Amino acid sequence: MKSPSDRVDEAGVDRAVEREFPMGAAETADGMDRRTFVQLLGTSLALSGLAGCPRAPPEKILPYTRQPPDLTPGNPLHYATAFATGAYATGVLATSWEGRPTKIEGNPLHPSSRGAAGLFEQASILQLYDPQRARLVKYKGVARAWKSFLAETRQRLDYLLEANRAAGLRFLLDPSGSPTVEDLRRRIAAAFPNARFHAYEALDRDNAYQGARLAFGRPLETLNEFENADVILSLDADFLQCVGPHLRHSRQFAARRAPGPAMNRLYAVESMLSVTGTMADHRLRLRSSEIQSFALELLSELVGKHRLGALAAIASALGQPLDAGPRAAWVRAVAADLARHPGRSSLVVGPRQPALVHAIGHAINSALGNFEQTVRFTRPVPLEAEAGSAALAALAAEIRDGRVDTLVITSRNPAYTAPANLEFPSLLSSIPNVIYHGWYEDETWARSAWTIPAAHPLETWSDARAHDGTISIAQPLIAPLFNGIPELELLASFVGEVDKNAYQILRESWQKKTPAADFEQRWERWLADGLVPGTAFSPERPSVRWDALNAAIRGAGKQDDAAPPGQRPLEVNFVGDYKVYDGRFANNAWLQELPDPITKLAWDNAALLSPATAQRLGLGQGEVVTLELRGRRVDAPVFMVPGHADDAVTLPLGYGRSGMEGVARGMGFNAYLLRHASAPWFDSGLTITSRGKHHPLAVTHDHWSMEGRPLALQSTLAEFQKNPGALDELRGPTETFHRPVDYDQAPHRWAMAIDLSRCTGCSACVVACQSENNIPVVGREQVRRSREMHWLRIDRYFSGPIEEPSVITQPVACVHCELAPCEYVCPVNATVHSDEGLNEMVYNRCVGTRYCSNNCPYKVRRFNYLHYTQDKPAPEKLMMNPDVTVRARGVMEKCTYCVQRIERVRIQSRIENRPIRDGELQTACQQACPAEAITFGSLHDQSSRVSRLHRDPRRYDLLHDLGTRPRTAYLVRIKNPNPELA
Amino acid sequence: MSALFPPAANTIVRVAALVLLAAPIIAVGTLYAYANSPLYTGQHDQIEQVIQFDHRHHVRDDGIDCRYCHSSVERSPYAGIPPTEVCMNCHAQVWNKSPLLDEVRARYFTDRAIAWNRVHRLPQFVYFNHSIHVNKGVGCVTCHGRVDRMAMAEQVAPLTMGWCLDCHRNPAKHLRPVDLITEMSWEPAVNRDQLGKELMEKYDVHTRTNCTTCHR
Repeated sequence: MKSPSDRVDEAGVDRAVEREFPMGAAETADGMDRRTFVQLLGTSLALSGLAGCPRAPPEKILPYTRQPPDLTPGNPLHYATAFATGAYATGVLATSWEGRPTKIEGNPLHPSSRGAAGLFEQASILQLYDPQRARLVKYKGVARAWKSFLAETRQRLDYLLEANRAAGLRFLLDPSGSPTVEDLRRRIAAAFPNARFHAYEALDRDNAYQGARLAFGRPLETLNEFENADVILSLDADFLQCVGPHLRHSRQFAARRAPGPAMNRLYAVESMLSVTGTMADHRLRLRSSEIQSFALELLSELVGKHRLGALAAIASALGQPLDAGPRAAWVRAVAADLARHPGRSSLVVGPRQPALVHAIGHAINSALGNFEQTVRFTRPVPLEAEAGSAALAALAAEIRDGRVDTLVITSRNPAYTAPANLEFPSLLSSIPNVIYHGWYEDETWARSAWTIPAAHPLETWSDARAHDGTISIAQPLIAPLFNGIPELELLASFVGEVDKNAYQILRESWQKKTPAADFEQRWERWLADGLVPGTAFSPERPSVRWDALNAAIRGAGKQDDAAPPGQRPLEVNFVGDYKVYDGRFANNAWLQELPDPITKLAWDNAALLSPATAQRLGLGQGEVVTLELRGRRVDAPVFMVPGHADDAVTLPLGYGRSGMEGVARGMGFNAYLLRHASAPWFDSGLTITSRGKHHPLAVTHDHWSMEGRPLALQSTLAEFQKNPGALDELRGPTETFHRPVDYDQAPHRWAMAIDLSRCTGCSACVVACQSENNIPVVGREQVRRSREMHWLRIDRYFSGPIEEPSVITQPVACVHCELAPCEYVCPVNATVHSDEGLNEMVYNRCVGTRYCSNNCPYKVRRFNYLHYTQDKPAPEKLMMNPDVTVRARGVMEKCTYCVQRIERVRIQSRIENRPIRDGELQTACQQACPAEAITFGSLHDQSSRVSRLHRDPRRYDLLHDLGTRPRTAYLVRIKNPNPELA
Repeated sequence: MSALFPPAANTIVRVAALVLLAAPIIAVGTLYAYANSPLYTGQHDQIEQVIQFDHRHHVRDDGIDCRYCHSSVERSPYAGIPPTEVCMNCHAQVWNKSPLLDEVRARYFTDRAIAWNRVHRLPQFVYFNHSIHVNKGVGCVTCHGRVDRMAMAEQVAPLTMGWCLDCHRNPAKHLRPVDLITEMSWEPAVNRDQLGKELMEKYDVHTRTNCTTCHR
């Protein structure tokens, strides 16, 4: 399977050639031509010898006046804190060098993280230093003092209070489980009896809570324990990447992917190919609207054939039995598999699916006896179980009636994320006094009277709850860089606490809750551990209300479109973006430049559809189309994704920004413009008309196929066991001209192992590497020219039929060949080998011939075509890891196996006169990986995890026939398909 | 007709050829010599500081251990420049009215850092680590010279890569017992090479000369 342009349009070859040799590849960004460049080159060569002559300029050393007690200059400190995306917090450890936070890692003690860190947590460090963040308190665009905000707001509140007990005072908050916010809200409600609180988030979990309400009579949080699940069925649930505690899910899921009898089996039913879908043993592509009927079919199959006792109660509501066809066979096989694993199976429903599907999921899980085994329940983490479009629509109605005088917004940019039909931006303009607490001068900022810059989570004290209710105290690592005001201080100002800072507010709230004499010691422990022990919610043991469910199912009926595929009206799906979430990370250049895990698209979103649908509509890759839904239009480029459901289009949210954020502006299109409050997740009746234009998308991995080469391998358990020697020709010694190097005398033999069975392609490792190794961002234009700088990339291949492809992801960084082709061709010895087997890159020797990159079969070397770090804004310089050189123009660079970490750990162990312990040394990618797919260590230690993996029967070498003897070994992905579906 | 080339022409050509051949060698040689000379390395430069701090007095007369001020030398890549607080530990009591220390007091009480001029400057792509050297028996004096005799701190060693490698290839004769690490005037009573060998064994010294040992 080649790339879509090769497949679909005739000019594919030309385009491929163009990609290989892009026009103007020799031009620099400012348009200098080759001739000028050569002239300048000659001059600078002649002068460069002299440039080395003057001595380096004198430097100053500025010591502390009073050195903080724990701090040793030159050694980083780590602080436990928490970062919340939506309502759920993830515990993180932040690295700080002499007061500068530089990196975010997972907190091993925290239940949601377990030591791993996701994209958003890690990339948030870039947002801390983002010079485009809002800096000033403003009133109608004019800078004002925080004190005058307090005074004038007080006046207005007094007036409101007197008029009608503050009926016109409204708060619009992010859904949050923060106990201190809850505290403050209670006090605000007491002070302003008629004030109201609303919560809104574009990617809400309303459906999940409504589903629980339908099934159990009350909204509940569903917790999945995948380590206990033998069979998992995901209904539109991307639980490995986006939904809730995905880091924990990934770890638990991956732990059960080791080939053998304990291996789990994942079925996924979804419309757009998701990260979870790529891991599925069986994937059924259905349009989102068909998933409800699928759930009903599954239910009726379980009732009819497997006679699950508990489900008999709703048997009467179900319609006719299954008809024939491949989908029916699928349902039968899944139902049988689920029924074979009572108490050891799990049905997960995604938040995009309507409440009924969630309720059916609960019913099936209950009937299978999965409650308390693979599925647990607690009360909801956020204070409001309704925080989606419906909640916002209710507020919008009140605004329209003129009942809102002062609206305090701490929710993320609702003017942008609100469904278009609410016309929220113009409603905001109609409110006399909007107080917006935001990170950027964004769309909401432009329509608010008072605008207050928000403090970054690393700049302020707060608290938050994890998915299971566990509370973390989030501590700051740096004083606000841009005058940000903490949310707690803003809320506290409404109850008159204007002189207290966030720390005092938080501590007092906790002190009241913990009247113990040893509060101080406890508090210190909470901060050190990053969580408050014993604060997880107590488990709830709900039982399914069969009657209510019965009635709901009867009311729903069968909703499938009877028309055959190809003639059905187009369905449109709205999904949170893997990289910018709901748009809140749109100004984060790391995330913008990160290739999407599935599409490999950077710096843009696109209307995603299946190749068959694109062909039916006559659309090519990157063709700009007008999307029209319910009379609203937006232009978007088209992008084909194998495995996407036919007759459906997926639109990732969060792009097409029009605020003042320089990175986000002009990137992608705004899918919120088509979103309707009554159908926030999927809708029918989309029309597509071509604009006859082409948008050059920045795709980092345009090729779909491995062209028959054994690169990223996958197999099934049965196949693998049948022929265990099949991999022998992909590993072991090869013939070579070169004299073998003796590594036995070296203290270590560094090596890596990457288990493809575990890797989900989530890309957390890519951001970890970027953060650890000071990797620059190059921008959309440079990515289009294939000049992205990521040392670690994730290749994504499709195999099998284009409609139902099998997908595999493969992280590739420098594999540290023992016989490295790059080293033979370097004319200046800038890339050499260490005695421990590292392929070293010496920046100062590199003259930029790029021979090494040309000779590298893995294509992992990255060249600084331009001086990407030269114009780095001042605040971002603080973020650099001081242990890693910041590279300049004209230098080659690549993965070093995090040699700075090796040397730090080596020095520490040598000082203590002890060997390096296995697991003591982690590369950045390994540390971030939620699935523990990456292992690093020394092969000299026979018992080390990496040694064991190198001896694993699944081990193979990438491009083994070249005889490069890579130190990074890969382990074949093993799938566990259901023999009944073979 | 007279000869086109006079007899001297041969000589002229020979000399010219010699000069042309020698010029690049001389040029490169000169550059090399310059790069290793104190002119370029900055050895023995007297570097003025805003505070007239005298190591002679503090080290030799008062006998203060190096680590009292450079306190992170055993734990960190950096030896550490003392926080102003450390100066004030003593100078709140002694010389607490001295006009020489006006600046120190002013900086301390207004919480502004004293801007010391760097004396030992390594290029930014060098990741030198004090702690491993000190813990394996490389004394302060080995690289920094007799600081107890310096009025103004100066760089004694060239700090070139060749100089680093000399020791990394053959460290034995630069080692001393770790409890004498800060002794300025220590000389081994026994044969230096013999002691070096013993210490290498005792401290398990394995110097490394890979590029990434220092450049990352």
